[in-house]
Amino acid sequence: MLLKQGKWRVGRILFLAVMLIGIGLFGLGCVEGLQPIGWSGGAVSGDTMFVGSSEGRLVAINLSDESRQWTMPLKRTGQTGGLFGCAPAYGGGCGGGASGVAIYGTPVIAGDLVYIGGHNGKVYAYTIESLSMRWVYPREGYFEPIVGGLVVARGKVYFGNSDGNVYALDAATGDPLWEFKTGEKIWSTPAISNGTLYIGSFDKKLYALNADDGSIVWEFPTEGSIITTPLVSNGTVYFGSFDRHFYAVNIADGSLKWKFMGENWFWAQPVLYENTIYAGCLDDKVYALRADNGNKVAEFNLGSPVSSSPVIFDSSIIFASREGMVYTIDTRNNSLRELATMEEKVYGPLSISDEIVYIHTQDLTLHRINALNGAVLRSISLKSQN
Amino acid sequence: MNPWELIVQQPVINVLIVMSHYLAGDFGLAIIALTIIVNFILFPLTLRQLRSTKAMQELQPKLAEIQKKYAKDRQKLAQEQMKLYKESGIRPAGCAITMIIQFPVWIALYQSIMLSLAVAPEGLLNLAKYLYSWSVVYSALPLSREFLGIMNLAQPNFILAILVGATMWVQQKMSMTTTPTDPKQASQSQMMLWMFPMMFTLLAITFPSGLALFWTASSIVRIILQYRITGWGGLRRKAPAESEREKKYLKFEEPGERKSVDDVGADIVVTDSETSAGMNYPAKPSKMRYQPGKDRARRRRKK
Repeated sequence: MLLKQGKWRVGRILFLAVMLIGIGLFGLGCVEGLQPIGWSGGAVSGDTMFVGSSEGRLVAINLSDESRQWTMPLKRTGQTGGLFGCAPAYGGGCGGGASGVAIYGTPVIAGDLVYIGGHNGKVYAYTIESLSMRWVYPREGYFEPIVGGLVVARGKVYFGNSDGNVYALDAATGDPLWEFKTGEKIWSTPAISNGTLYIGSFDKKLYALNADDGSIVWEFPTEGSIITTPLVSNGTVYFGSFDRHFYAVNIADGSLKWKFMGENWFWAQPVLYENTIYAGCLDDKVYALRADNGNKVAEFNLGSPVSSSPVIFDSSIIFASREGMVYTIDTRNNSLRELATMEEKVYGPLSISDEIVYIHTQDLTLHRINALNGAVLRSISLKSQN
Repeated sequence: MNPWELIVQQPVINVLIVMSHYLAGDFGLAIIALTIIVNFILFPLTLRQLRSTKAMQELQPKLAEIQKKYAKDRQKLAQEQMKLYKESGIRPAGCAITMIIQFPVWIALYQSIMLSLAVAPEGLLNLAKYLYSWSVVYSALPLSREFLGIMNLAQPNFILAILVGATMWVQQKMSMTTTPTDPKQASQSQMMLWMFPMMFTLLAITFPSGLALFWTASSIVRIILQYRITGWGGLRRKAPAESEREKKYLKFEEPGERKSVDDVGADIVVTDSETSAGMNYPAKPSKMRYQPGKDRARRRRKK
């Protein structure tokens, strides 16, 4: 009997071990960032701001009275759903996942339409007035996830896709016009200047394409993948890479003008103010570099990685760090000042309208901070009513 | 970064990335290589666990004898059992303890694989903080999710999920070296045999297949180790149904000696040990075989 009891005890210990493994995988084993949630920024047109929410909806917010309007949620691809309601491709069980299709790119407003790209691989065009859908591309099926933002110029919508292609669509109808294949997936948002499209790829190259027909003008190789949205100014394209370098390349011939080395990836889009580039890096710092020769003017430690794109307000640049600290850099004397602190992590780009900085966090909230005095205003929930 | 991330996760992630770089950029091969390395490091623990399992198996006849001898004196029975375990250098809960010790290692591997795969943009962004400042690490990222050009490790894979269950079942079955005599225990043991693989199969269908590849590789490595140390174990055992038939047959021969329900287990064990010469199972310890505690007892006597 005691022998049996002993065996039973061993059995129970084994059973406990199995349970521990199960709990461990779902509890302790949870790792951040397994599910796509999205980090869309806000685009303002008149009194209305458009944001892509993590419920997979385009939200129109009237900034005067804070009233909101939602589109229908974007449709999931057939790949999602899975067992127990977990998102199978991205690991289930680790809470905080998106309840809808993730939207990473900031909506783009052009004419009477507002455009967004979803992680479900589709591009949507909605009317600004009623938020009714004008067109969707592809009309049937799904592309690979769209992570970068869209750009609308010259009557065309341009975007990069995780399938490695750059696409150009007719902005009015959504009809495909041309596509260009790169060697790896694209998560970068394109930039357009003087009829040339610039876009980075995971194949470690920056491409300059003819925006009319998608033919290649030049390509610039780096040692790492490129996610940053290029910044084009004064005959130069500025961008960062996963090889920890920030590059300045001549747009005329794709030759290197200068490069600067940080201590981690450059992810956020840089901004240019007068002759200084301000580039956020995942090494927790913002580098101020001279636009003409790349010499470091100053560096600012924000305490946690900087992946959200900054905004310019008067003569200040406003940055947010991952851990929710919002700072302002006075460009006149390159001094750093803490503007506000938020409880939430910040991944997406900042937006500004009428002295108010808008920060969309992954908890379906649009935070508002006064850019002048750092006062934290009442936040706006993006959660839909149904 | 917390101590866990700094001491465990970060090194494992960077090793995975570097290995992936040197294995033709194939993250799947890096997972397999890391699994082998981790198993090699854990080999002393695994060896102890397997030897303990084998020793338990070989101790069964002696345990049965003791049980028969002290069937009416439970206290003495317990003392004798403990004495036998002590002499043989066996800790009955040793297997479970070893498993629990290995547990953090598997969790670390799981986390590292999931982080390195960076299945969502948030994951890739999160990965950046774990990277060492080696240029090879930066240039290798993001990792290719293709395994041998046929499988996307970021997506669940049904075949690999089935393989996870199958290899775990085989490994579990190999480690089940004794036939539980208590019906309760037998059903629990059967439940363990099926529950573990089924649970992991379901998880594998849900998670990216990179994790399933890691589980499959782990099971295969352990099957190989187990085969080298204990042979096929439970895989070559006779079906319990046959033992049941023998039990009935013996009861028929001696109908007068009916035992209480508590003694049923003793009946089976005695029957097995009596017939084991012709059946090969459970094997009686022979001189050529490893006999737990015997060498140790001899050494003690010499002292």
